[in-house]
Amino acid sequence: MTAALAIPAPVPPPASRLGRIAWQWRHNPKLELWLAWYTIVVFYNVFGIVFFVVTRTKPPPKAWWGLPRIVEWFAENRLGLLTGFGTIFFMGAFATASTALIVYSIRRMSVSPAFAWSYRLLYSLAAVPGMLLTCIALVAGAMRLDRDPRLLGLLYDMGFLSFSGTMGIFLVGSVVWAVAILLDRNGVLPKWFGYFNICNALTEVVVATCCIVKEGPFAWNGVIAFYINMVVFGIYTGVFITYLKQMIEHEEPERDYLPNRLALL
Amino acid sequence: MAQTAKRETIPGQPAMWVLVMIEALTFSAYFVVYTVCYRRSPELFLQSQGQLHLDLGVLNTIVLLTSSWSIARCVERTRAGDFAAALANVWLTIAGGLIFCAMKLYDWSMAIGQGLTFTTNDFFQFYYFLTGMHLLHVLVGLIALGVIVYQLSGPQRRSREIVETCATYWHMVDFLWVIIFALLYVMR
Repeated sequence: MTAALAIPAPVPPPASRLGRIAWQWRHNPKLELWLAWYTIVVFYNVFGIVFFVVTRTKPPPKAWWGLPRIVEWFAENRLGLLTGFGTIFFMGAFATASTALIVYSIRRMSVSPAFAWSYRLLYSLAAVPGMLLTCIALVAGAMRLDRDPRLLGLLYDMGFLSFSGTMGIFLVGSVVWAVAILLDRNGVLPKWFGYFNICNALTEVVVATCCIVKEGPFAWNGVIAFYINMVVFGIYTGVFITYLKQMIEHEEPERDYLPNRLALL
Repeated sequence: MAQTAKRETIPGQPAMWVLVMIEALTFSAYFVVYTVCYRRSPELFLQSQGQLHLDLGVLNTIVLLTSSWSIARCVERTRAGDFAAALANVWLTIAGGLIFCAMKLYDWSMAIGQGLTFTTNDFFQFYYFLTGMHLLHVLVGLIALGVIVYQLSGPQRRSREIVETCATYWHMVDFLWVIIFALLYVMR
């Protein structure tokens, strides 16, 4: 009788690498979370390679260039722009894993679900001007180099202004996450990271200046509007990916279940 | 005992000190860029500096230093358990913050009235950028001061740690202004 009621012993993972992967797939209760986390890692790596190496759009070219130089730039980078941003069109949806896992972290916190909803809404919108519009404008320019140079100039400005000038949406998302972390009593993420979110949000204000000036430190390729901001954002991204990993590692599915949706309403 | 020792060395949440460090590093980077640009065209920067209202800058510095003093008094009174005096001091700090914002907006409006805008030259780009970024920090600081008022208003709340944390942020705002004031208005 006792033997019939006993909980079966957990299946130990096999020794081989493939066997361990198969075991994780079948038995790891955090499988979805790990899949989302690895998707984030893959996405940001591809994102970095595409923007910095393949398309050479980061660091951005000069904002003050005249039309002949812009046409030349499209011709020089045509192949990179088409293949690189083609890859982003294919993998762009991977970015949702990042939003999903961050929203999950907010749902684990002792705060109103309004925070999670706000974050989800803001980042669903932000990817359009902040990433996809840039890719579409620059690919459209690279596709037909025989267009009127003024049209290429328009696509060039639209592409880079869209990437840099629309940080406001990300800023608000960062503030939402910051406030959730600072109010949280469950200790899902450390408080200093909440403050770091505020710092990241405040530095994102800086890029708005690229809509006003074309030269100097405040242009879209300037030291202040791009380089310093990019350093802060790069560190911020590395930190949040690390903390999301730690959150998954420390989670115990039976203890840290998501609150019932009805109970939160 | 260990906690007491920690309190004596680090007022407020240690996390806030990380923010102070990150902000100090970020603003230091801005200051380095400003100094490099200043070195490149010193005549333009000197001439533009002369068009600023030094008297308003000095007045704003005094207001902010006074607010820093009152927030220090607020922390000291909170530690002593004199919450009524602490509350009075935080209101004084809020008044200082609001006066600072009003004077800064007045300063900007005077400059814009003289035709000195963000696009006038490199110096005014830095002027509006640095003072604008600082003003944003002051606004966040006013929210932090609101948190102190909320904490001190209810006998159930009154967390000394949170009061110290928010006060640390306000001191950072003050510290940043002193450097910005020195760079923009005084440094020749």
